[in-house]
Amino acid sequence: MASGHVIKRAKYKTSPKGAGTPGVLKMTENKIMFKPNDPTSASKIDVEFRSIKGYKNTKEGSNNPPLLNLSLEQGGSYIFEFENFLDLQVCREFVGNALTKSGDAAKAKSGDTAKAKSGEAVATSDRSTVTYPDEQLISSAEMELRIKLLRENSELQNLHKKFVLGNILTESEFWATRKKLLDGDSGTKSKQRVGFKSSMILDIKPMTDGRTNKVTFNLTPEIKYQIFALKPAVHRAFLNHVPNKMTEKDFWTKYFRAEYLHSTKNAVAAAAEAAEDEELAIFLKDDDILANAARQKIRRVDPTLDMEADQGDDYMHLPDHGIFRDGSKEITDSQHEQFKRTFLQDLNRQGEVVLEGRTIDVELEDPRTVAEALAQSRQESDENAKQERLDRISRMTEMEDLQAPHDHPLAPLCIKDPRDYFDSQLLKISDDTRAGSEQLRCSLSSEEAYGSLRGSISEIKAMGLSDPVVRPEVAVMVLNGLTQNISSTKFQLGKNAQESILNSLPNTTKEELLHHWISIQELLRHFWSSYPITTSYLYAKVSRVKDAMSKIYPQLEEIKESVPSDLRQQVFLLVRPMHQALDAAFQHYEADLQKRSAKSGEKPNGYV
Amino acid sequence: MPSAPTKLYADDVSLLVVLLDTNPFFWSTSSLPFSKFLSHVLSFLNSILLLNQINQIVVIATGCNSCDYIYDSSLSTNPGIENGKLPALCSELLKKLEDFVTRDEQLNKQHSLPPTTTSSSLLSGSLSMALCYIQRVFRSGPLRPHPRILCVQGSSDGPEQYVAIMNSIFSAQRSMVPIDSCYIGSNNSAFLQQASYITGGVYQKPQQLDGLFQYLSTVFATDLHSRAFLQLPKSVGVDFRASCFCHKKTIDMGYICSVCLSIFCKHHKKCSTCGSVFGQAQSDVASASNLKRKTPET
Amino acid sequence: MPEVKIIAKNFMDMVASLPAMKLDKLYDNAFICEAILRSLPPLAKKYVLQMLYIDSPITAKSMEVWVLPDGSSKHRVAIDRLIQLRVFSETVDRRKETTYKINPTFQTNLQKLLTHGEVLPREPMPSNITVRLPSVEDLDVYAIGQWECFLLQLISSAQAERPSNISSSMMKVFQRGLLSQRDKEAPRLTESGFQFLLMDTNAQLWYIIREYISNSEERGVDPADLISFLLELSFHVTGEAYNSNTLTEVQRNTIKDLTDLGLVKLQQGRKESWFIPTKLATNLSVSLTDSSSRKQGFVVVETNFRLYAYSTSKLHCEILRLFSRVEYQLPNLIVGAITKESLYNAFENGITADQIISFLQQNAHPRVAERIPTVPENVTDQIRLWESDLNRVEMTPAHYYDEFPSREIFEAACDHAREWNGLLWEDSKRMRLVVKAEIHIHMRDHLRGQKQ
Repeated sequence: MASGHVIKRAKYKTSPKGAGTPGVLKMTENKIMFKPNDPTSASKIDVEFRSIKGYKNTKEGSNNPPLLNLSLEQGGSYIFEFENFLDLQVCREFVGNALTKSGDAAKAKSGDTAKAKSGEAVATSDRSTVTYPDEQLISSAEMELRIKLLRENSELQNLHKKFVLGNILTESEFWATRKKLLDGDSGTKSKQRVGFKSSMILDIKPMTDGRTNKVTFNLTPEIKYQIFALKPAVHRAFLNHVPNKMTEKDFWTKYFRAEYLHSTKNAVAAAAEAAEDEELAIFLKDDDILANAARQKIRRVDPTLDMEADQGDDYMHLPDHGIFRDGSKEITDSQHEQFKRTFLQDLNRQGEVVLEGRTIDVELEDPRTVAEALAQSRQESDENAKQERLDRISRMTEMEDLQAPHDHPLAPLCIKDPRDYFDSQLLKISDDTRAGSEQLRCSLSSEEAYGSLRGSISEIKAMGLSDPVVRPEVAVMVLNGLTQNISSTKFQLGKNAQESILNSLPNTTKEELLHHWISIQELLRHFWSSYPITTSYLYAKVSRVKDAMSKIYPQLEEIKESVPSDLRQQVFLLVRPMHQALDAAFQHYEADLQKRSAKSGEKPNGYV
Repeated sequence: MPSAPTKLYADDVSLLVVLLDTNPFFWSTSSLPFSKFLSHVLSFLNSILLLNQINQIVVIATGCNSCDYIYDSSLSTNPGIENGKLPALCSELLKKLEDFVTRDEQLNKQHSLPPTTTSSSLLSGSLSMALCYIQRVFRSGPLRPHPRILCVQGSSDGPEQYVAIMNSIFSAQRSMVPIDSCYIGSNNSAFLQQASYITGGVYQKPQQLDGLFQYLSTVFATDLHSRAFLQLPKSVGVDFRASCFCHKKTIDMGYICSVCLSIFCKHHKKCSTCGSVFGQAQSDVASASNLKRKTPET
Repeated sequence: MPEVKIIAKNFMDMVASLPAMKLDKLYDNAFICEAILRSLPPLAKKYVLQMLYIDSPITAKSMEVWVLPDGSSKHRVAIDRLIQLRVFSETVDRRKETTYKINPTFQTNLQKLLTHGEVLPREPMPSNITVRLPSVEDLDVYAIGQWECFLLQLISSAQAERPSNISSSMMKVFQRGLLSQRDKEAPRLTESGFQFLLMDTNAQLWYIIREYISNSEERGVDPADLISFLLELSFHVTGEAYNSNTLTEVQRNTIKDLTDLGLVKLQQGRKESWFIPTKLATNLSVSLTDSSSRKQGFVVVETNFRLYAYSTSKLHCEILRLFSRVEYQLPNLIVGAITKESLYNAFENGITADQIISFLQQNAHPRVAERIPTVPENVTDQIRLWESDLNRVEMTPAHYYDEFPSREIFEAACDHAREWNGLLWEDSKRMRLVVKAEIHIHMRDHLRGQKQ
């Protein structure tokens, strides 16, 4: 940045439409100040950049005044109106730079400045190497999406409340692991550009009221743009004559007079009028720019191609053939030919322009700007640009929004219901207790084992199947057992609920356990993803996360203690994997810490 | 969970592929003699054929060293003149089974492995064979019966087969073939629990082995068409533990390759499945405690 | 064609409606037990299987525990059918608790089948005695030939190539309901007759067999014996020869009739005679359930309403003629077109568009059967449209009156027509009205009265 501060004349507004207070806006490296011209006015501003969340501004070319909107962390915003867009531009750049610079300061969340200071203190040691997530640059749309997600998912909201508002994780860290959720919407957005209208603007028809001889043409900014694009001669005439020689209104009136003459197909009258009015003649004559272009194109045609030979092949001259326009057949008339346009010409020109696509990107309201922008885009279109456009056309014809998305969506790894995991814990223990006995009994040699197997087979071959296969008493017992099993799963838990250890616990314990489970998962995810620690920022994060985890640890113990003794064994089984996971994390943390301190001993200059 | 494709077919015609555990080491320790077991299972197979003329049964023997088809009702010859003591199905099956056991024993001698390592049967092999058979039936014509697989398993899981079995399970899930499991060993089988859970089959561990036929006929004879209307037993919990790829141990916690999702019980420098290089934390210090970096650097 | 299927399946109803004594006696025969088991709804089969080794009554409640809410109607149907067939017996004890118990004879027979396997109903004759046994293919051709010949004879006796020995009275029985004969007119197919022709072979077979059995008492044959013999026959092995000596007199007569239907082939050796069951006979017990075995289709319908049937069968030709215009008949190909006229013909005969479409779909040639839709959509749509065309206009014979001398007379005439409930249309401006033809006489009398 060239200068450390910017001073501009501006109006402070509370809403875009309000009148605003005139004054002077001063911005330094970390502050924004506004002094109203009227010293008695209350709208004096003196804020630090770190409390600014983001900014928006109006675009040049739109009919909005040059506005800059600074949105505040606490909600609400400051709006400044500048005298011109140049001023806005300067201020906007300044604000943008200042916001990125004061990155870590802005990370502090609402109200808690003390925490923010400590974060800064850690970060200042090697400021240049650390890149911070630019969370203040998120669009308001993304913000809305986040809020919406939180509102829809209470589990997520709880986590968010606990970790983000509890300063264990930052907003951006929290969401960084949930990119998938945020991306969901953006993927569906259409990337298709608005093209050039394909309706024939050349066919614009006058409306007559039927009683008088007056005809009315309807003209919209879009139509004006289309006319410019389709008829370079009109475009040129507009640039030359408006507003020096004639008003815009006169220009269009003249243009449509010419159009009307065309539509009457009265070539003689058209010729007569053209002779009288020089400007009108421009509209009536063939477009010389187009004609030039056409000649150039013909020159580029492969010379071995005999174009003359095909000229009569269009059957245009035969009865019952030809092109009908407005209900009558178009007949080429050699006389006054320059005052007639054929339908085919119009059609070809239309097609060419449509394929070119929209070359300008400005508001269509002011025909003068449109005309200028178009002229500029025409100049640019030298050979290179044409090639590029051709490429684009071939790409566009693929219909981008009909294609499958280019980034192949990943199927998220899905564990059906994490709660099922709890069940397996109990099962495992009950299995483990019995596992020992089986290994011991399997002591036969393989010959003996195979021998007895074959013995069984020959036995059944000789004896036949045992009859009855099942004794009736046993059969009844089995059937009753199965029926009981079914009825217990069906009626206790309803149709869908899986029988689970969790469900046997009191409701509060169950919810607490599940909550801790989810919290631990979230924290562990952040914990492990921070390794290896390459920046002090990550270092700070890891210690924050670790602290939070060590707080959960005793809470789990408490749950274990609080449940009635008959359930303690089961809760113990559930809590154990959580403890194990936490222990593993702590162990790693300690090991890492030790290694670091050992290293820093060797290299005293190394960072912490 | 995929449900049985009831709409494609008109009625209750079934193709049942039965995987029989013929692990001699298990049977020598089992409280249910093998001959009794066979008598239950053969009666069950007979009853399936009795239910519908076009029901089809395929039996695959799961041995310690090999697997093989031992019966296919679509290939069996017309019931010839038999001694009347055994159903035609049985004598044919038993003969093949005997041959199979002899062959399996020979293989065992060749490998000359200590019996403790071969205490599990080759479930992965027989599951794959069953799925191959079903795929062939699927491709052979437009009229196909509802296929399902029934594992009658006794020996304990072989963690070394984890990957192969899981792959078979997922392939069964994809082709909507439910895997029913009747586990007659002493502990629960994590593999079969997962297989039935994932494919929408039934996992059942009979409490009374002398009533095995009753379990089979009450639970496992139910055709897929009727399952839409019936509540079948549900297992209480499923053991979702995985085996690590490196030492084939069943583990609770481990390391997962973030590229190919291979599971390891210890930290490795390189994924043995996909070859991704796992980064070391920080620099060159290769201490044993320097464990966990879950994302590979490549 | 839901209606028709009921006719075909009702065979088990017929078994169920036998007197209890006869029904119980039927279960002495293991083959009947097996056939009955196979004919049960899937859920009922499962219930039988799980009760197979249980000799004590099971409460209805404990069975209902297994049923999901969606399946309660299926459960009801299964239990009802089991009770109807006396496979289960229902008792309500003092505590108002319903229990079911399986029929012990039925149970024992099935248990035997499980542990000892099937015993063949008859020993096939050793091959040194029987000569010239037909191959399986030949036997199939023979069976289908016989069956089609029978059908042809059934729908128009004149077309049959060779007369069969089914007595004309017997034929009359079969034709009952399928043909209607007015005096001195050629018999015409009735609505159900047309539907019958469009059914698949198994359904047709069962329809005929059912008629055959229900008529048996007139011939002095016990229906229960007949049923048991037919079911037993279905467990013989296709293509094997069985000695006719093992048959009773009644059965021997029955076999002769069945020969004409194509169920068995009779052969005469030097000394002995034997019968060879065909596919049709062994399929009898299969077709009791849904027909899963489908024969190969032969019809290709194109989008231009042309229809190619790769068939040598005269019967097929006759069936196609029911709703299409047959254009050429080549040795193995029938070419026809589905036209408005041909369809109107079919609709007049009571065939519905849905029946025609499902016939075309079920008999689609394997080449097109894989495609979806099997029959081009424009054709099926058009068939349905033509059918609905017929229902578009309702015709009522009517009389038209105009040139009334005065408005009063016109109004009075309208009122009069209304009184007779016969006014169809009136135009009071121009004084015109239309009345139903049947009240024309009353109108005429009324108007005459007005004139005077």
